[in-house]
Amino acid sequence: MVMASEDEVSLLVIVVDVNPIWWGQQANREPQFTLSKCLDAVMVMGNSHLVMTRNNKLAIIASHCQESHFLYPFKLWKSGDGHGDDNPSTSGDGKYELLSVANDIMAEEIKILMSRTEVKGNQTDTLLAGSLAKALCCILFIKMLTGQEIKSRILVIKAADDCALQYMNFMNVIFAAQKQSILIDACVLDSDSGLLQQACDITGGLYLMIPQKIALAQYLLWVFLPDSDQRSQLVLPPPVHVDYRAACFCHRNLIEIGYVCSVCLSIFCNFSPICTTCETAFKIPLPQMVKAKKKKLKPST
Amino acid sequence: MAALSEEVLLVVKRVRQRKQDGTLYLMAERIAWGPEGKDRFTVSHLYADIRCQKISPDGKAKIQLQLVLHTGESTNFHFSNESTALRDRDAAKDLLQQLLPKFKKRANKELEEKNRMLQEDPVLFQLYKDLVVSQVISAEEFWANRLSLNNVDHSASNNKQEVGISAAFLADIRPQTDGCNGLRYNLTSDIIESIFRTYPAVKQKYAENVPHNLTEKEFWTRFFQSHYFHRDRISTGLQDIFSECAKQDEKGLRSMVVQGVKNPLVDLLSLEDKTLDEGYGSNSMAPSTSSANKTVKENSNSAIIKRFNHHSAMVLAAGAGKKADAPNDQASETSSTDGNSRDSDFFQPPVKKVKIQEAIEYEDLHMENGKKTVALNLKKSDRYSHGPVPLLPQQYTTSQDIINSVNCIQQEIANYKPCLTQVMSSSTASSAIAALSPGGLLMQAGSQQAINQMVPSDVQGELKHLYTAAGELLRHFWSCFPVNTPFLEEKVVKMKSNLERFQMTKLRPFQEKIQRQYLSTNLTGHLEDMFQMAYNKFHAWQTRQMLRKT
Repeated sequence: MVMASEDEVSLLVIVVDVNPIWWGQQANREPQFTLSKCLDAVMVMGNSHLVMTRNNKLAIIASHCQESHFLYPFKLWKSGDGHGDDNPSTSGDGKYELLSVANDIMAEEIKILMSRTEVKGNQTDTLLAGSLAKALCCILFIKMLTGQEIKSRILVIKAADDCALQYMNFMNVIFAAQKQSILIDACVLDSDSGLLQQACDITGGLYLMIPQKIALAQYLLWVFLPDSDQRSQLVLPPPVHVDYRAACFCHRNLIEIGYVCSVCLSIFCNFSPICTTCETAFKIPLPQMVKAKKKKLKPST
Repeated sequence: MAALSEEVLLVVKRVRQRKQDGTLYLMAERIAWGPEGKDRFTVSHLYADIRCQKISPDGKAKIQLQLVLHTGESTNFHFSNESTALRDRDAAKDLLQQLLPKFKKRANKELEEKNRMLQEDPVLFQLYKDLVVSQVISAEEFWANRLSLNNVDHSASNNKQEVGISAAFLADIRPQTDGCNGLRYNLTSDIIESIFRTYPAVKQKYAENVPHNLTEKEFWTRFFQSHYFHRDRISTGLQDIFSECAKQDEKGLRSMVVQGVKNPLVDLLSLEDKTLDEGYGSNSMAPSTSSANKTVKENSNSAIIKRFNHHSAMVLAAGAGKKADAPNDQASETSSTDGNSRDSDFFQPPVKKVKIQEAIEYEDLHMENGKKTVALNLKKSDRYSHGPVPLLPQQYTTSQDIINSVNCIQQEIANYKPCLTQVMSSSTASSAIAALSPGGLLMQAGSQQAINQMVPSDVQGELKHLYTAAGELLRHFWSCFPVNTPFLEEKVVKMKSNLERFQMTKLRPFQEKIQRQYLSTNLTGHLEDMFQMAYNKFHAWQTRQMLRKT
């Protein structure tokens, strides 16, 4: 096992899905687990990560349906935001100051975020791809700040369903993360997400759909707190079988064998001589016609 | 019976075989013996079948020649002609010695090839054992596809490389003093060959004079004595047979100068000695060959230089072989002897042209030849926005729902206060831990062991062999389709029976064996599927055949 060296920085970016529509409906479905509880669990996770080593860094992004917002770290370049006082209110329980500061910032930021939510009917999907892209940028930024190679991973806590329109951006983010050796872990609260399964498979992270939402904190600490080096020594849930089948462009059915246009790379389930996306005509040689054999005339007796 | 077109190389009369008098005939491809008076051959062996020949020792009274065949049997010929028996036998033996190696290689080559292939590739060897030794398919079918591939490689390696000539071969002869004022020159056949290849004139002289006029030893003695060999070729006695060679060399040298240089851009001047000034360094005057006022010393210098150049040119020419002749002719054609037209571009040697071209052009600065491209014309580009993702049922939310949810959340978060001491109860936590522990709800998939840990390795090995053998048979089977010729029809029927036989003899026992070992995994399911598919195809083809016939 590779021991983390004394000054190796490990960065964890938590992307929390705070889709207000889903969480609002969830409050009716399961009152004992609401967004507040979820945020509590995320805070516990963040605190634990910071406490593991002095060199650990944390970032938390709230993924809303209108924007992606950094809950932590506090935006240092925002000047005069009303939080100028240097003595943040301590909780008075003797907590490590870094943690109490972090928690307070997070709570403030989520309040600000939610208060400026506008109700719009056409924006109901979580902007997850955008949040992941922001997370990647944050990692890059921290890398430049510290000037050294850091180990980084992204933990996605997902609540609402996938949005198919974000597919392209999502895949780009996944491949970018893979190139940068950034793990993407996923903790899914409600229904399985094919995109996140692919992301975890490609980048080497862990995918978990939890059966009990109220035990979210326990799952996070057990499964997602150790970093990739330590995970090889632990017995963790086995990887999920990922369905990599593509869906045809014409019917959006999952197919195993199909036809691909060589010009625009769109996938079809049936052959058609003209590709409907790019209007290229294709010729396929038909099987050769078998000439009808002439029957030998029997000699007439 | 002897074919009329067969070429008879040797006929020996009065040769007894099995106590019968007869005549021995050696033909181009076989050796045959026929009894006296009869027209036909009773004994006939192809040279390819003969493994070796043996002769009776010299002292024995009976002069015999024995042929041993590959199969092990042997045939004895007794040369009974009193006067010429020994000579006959030796003549026959010599001829056989020349002929047998030619045929021997051809016969054994295939066997050797096969053996080599089997030895090199253990997978092939195993396949051979499984299929041919257990008689599932015949050896010919097995080798049918494989031998043809390798014959191509072998023919390429048969082209031998020609050995070049060392430029110092004459100097290597290195005379040794004989003790009393004489010199010994050691000539090996390699050196003789080099001399002949480099100086064809000498070879000619050799052919003319030896062995009629001079013995070899005398020839070479004269060679070394003649001034042809020595540095200064000034005084040449007319008695010397090599004076002609010297004249021929002069002619050759002059013709080479006339041919011109192939690459005039080679900078020879850079090799010259650099002098500080006239008078300090070397003599800057080049000796002119046509001057009659040359001193003796200058003459000998120029003679040495000429000879040196000539020698090097001859060595290179001999090493280049036949290929050098064709471009040489081309060069002499293009560079005309007319001094004026030499300057025109048309007649410059091709190498010079290329070099000049390279020096004045840069590829990057050429005009861009834009290739004609076709623009991508996407009509429905929105398909890419969702990509190949299946359509999932979207949950429909009414606008009222949306408004309610948002309000609810806003209210909740406005009053949010993190309460980290009561994130979850201990019972919840322990149930979560239980689910995550080995054997728990979330760990089910991991408890399945990998199949290769459950199956013993010998069973795995046997399965691999089965797969290789089955793959081979199936390849033969599927390559028969489409069935066009009667040969393929027979083959496909034969292959089907082979497949059935294989299934009976190899697959079933294996399945029974693993069942006995209580291995519940289905190891042979895929093999069975493959066989079944082959049978289905065969039945379909058969029914189609029958329909066509009726």
